[in-house]
Amino acid sequence: MKKKKTLRPEGNPIVRFIRNNTVPIMFVLICAVCIPLSGFSPSYLLNEIVTRMGRNIFLILCLLIPIMAGMGLNFGMTLGAMAGEIALIFVADWQIWGIPGVILAMILSIPFSILLGLLCGKLLNMSKGREMITSYIISFFINGLYQLVVLYMMGPIIPIKHFSIKLPRGYGIRNTVSLLNMRQVLDNALSVTIAGVKIPILTFAIIAVLCLFVTWFRKTKLGQDMRAVGQNMEVARAAGINVERTRLISIVISTVIAGFGMIIYLQNMGNLSTYSSHSQIGMFCIAALLVGGASVDKANIGNVFLGVILFHTMFIVAPSAGAKITGDSMIGEYFRVFISYGVITVALVMYEAKKRRAKSLAGHKLAQDQLTEDKEAAQ
Amino acid sequence: MKSKRTLLIRLAVVLVLIAIGAVMMVIGRGHTVYFDNVALDYNGTHYDALYKVTVYVKDKQVAKLYAKERGMATWIGQNFSMTLEVIETKGGDEEVHTIHVKLPYNMDGIVLNLPALLQGLPEEAYLKEFVSNVPEVPVEEEPGSSDEFDFGADF
Repeated sequence: MKKKKTLRPEGNPIVRFIRNNTVPIMFVLICAVCIPLSGFSPSYLLNEIVTRMGRNIFLILCLLIPIMAGMGLNFGMTLGAMAGEIALIFVADWQIWGIPGVILAMILSIPFSILLGLLCGKLLNMSKGREMITSYIISFFINGLYQLVVLYMMGPIIPIKHFSIKLPRGYGIRNTVSLLNMRQVLDNALSVTIAGVKIPILTFAIIAVLCLFVTWFRKTKLGQDMRAVGQNMEVARAAGINVERTRLISIVISTVIAGFGMIIYLQNMGNLSTYSSHSQIGMFCIAALLVGGASVDKANIGNVFLGVILFHTMFIVAPSAGAKITGDSMIGEYFRVFISYGVITVALVMYEAKKRRAKSLAGHKLAQDQLTEDKEAAQ
Repeated sequence: MKSKRTLLIRLAVVLVLIAIGAVMMVIGRGHTVYFDNVALDYNGTHYDALYKVTVYVKDKQVAKLYAKERGMATWIGQNFSMTLEVIETKGGDEEVHTIHVKLPYNMDGIVLNLPALLQGLPEEAYLKEFVSNVPEVPVEEEPGSSDEFDFGADF
């Protein structure tokens, strides 16, 4: 006899907890196995994680606002990263160094980010319900434009004069632009060392300001509108919210924050790979956020911090652990790239499965209610 | 009325950002300063190189120069300041001088002639733009060629 399949919400809180936090739990286990194998000392590991937190958290925080507006994971953050890079190229050409250079680059990136954010937002408004794939493709499209500008227009059309930036042929930007004169200027200003671990106070203060902004923004009228749009666009429209404008603003804010984040990231690295720095950044940021337990429709600041810690612990230890296990460090490199893409796939599949389960449960409940109503009417 | 106020606020924000940007461009301009301890002739007078000079920038020793030697330091902004510990002739006494120089905004590399500077000669005698004498070998760089999947890239 065929057993009847019943759909019911999990009653066991442990099962529910595991189901809701599968990705972070998976990463905790991976890190627990890889850390002892890597052979790194705790202070080294802590130092690396703290450095990477300062480097990446600002960038990842830019993903929160589009999620709030129901636009999913903003792969279009790459556009902001490109805006930040263009600003840095100009600042490097004008030889503005140190913290003033970082501030000037941030100010310069704003108009580029706003323009690109408006373009991205407009296109995403035309493709509602398919925002993630659309933003992913937009980032490829804008990358093409970026390459055109940087390779052919910088020099003859856009004035670039510094020999260390321009290609020897006379136009276009070199593969690597040195940011040595602004390297870690934010991280070193006001930094303190505790038990061998360098804590970049200024960078963390900037991150704290952004966290406060995000928290405050949720409570504003615009933030509430975004949440309403994120929950149900039609209901929000009926309530008098300009859905398209709200979504557009969310993408513009995200792109501007991504531009700032990319500048903070690159000042930490100390050089800019002109043609490839931005190419993977969206993917890694999204992977880190998902590792922190976020989903396509729900993310908070806690997810960002947890994600950065877990994802980067894996990033640091994987090559060394891979080398110890297999004798080849490349395996570890492949492993961390495979995990990055894998975690995005798992999170997307889980999100869809959860959505379908919820839909199915709702349908099941509706059918049962109708059946009960019919029975009552018959009696 | 409200839209006019919004427009004014936006304009004010843009102006403030432009102003901050302009200030950053001035105070953040970086220069590489080279110190030459070499003899020079100016207006028919000959000035000898110093026996030994130690250069401190921001309380950090950046160069110890004997005759015909060159040192360098980096500086952000136009108001350059350095401390020199000078021994003019062998066996002579050490003198300490604090020197302030206004660096030209448009020069990336600036060469300062220390004997001329200490003699109080005009700017044209002690300051000139650094021009590299080493010809750049044109290395053909393939722009944009990178590993598509970026394995090994750090994040």
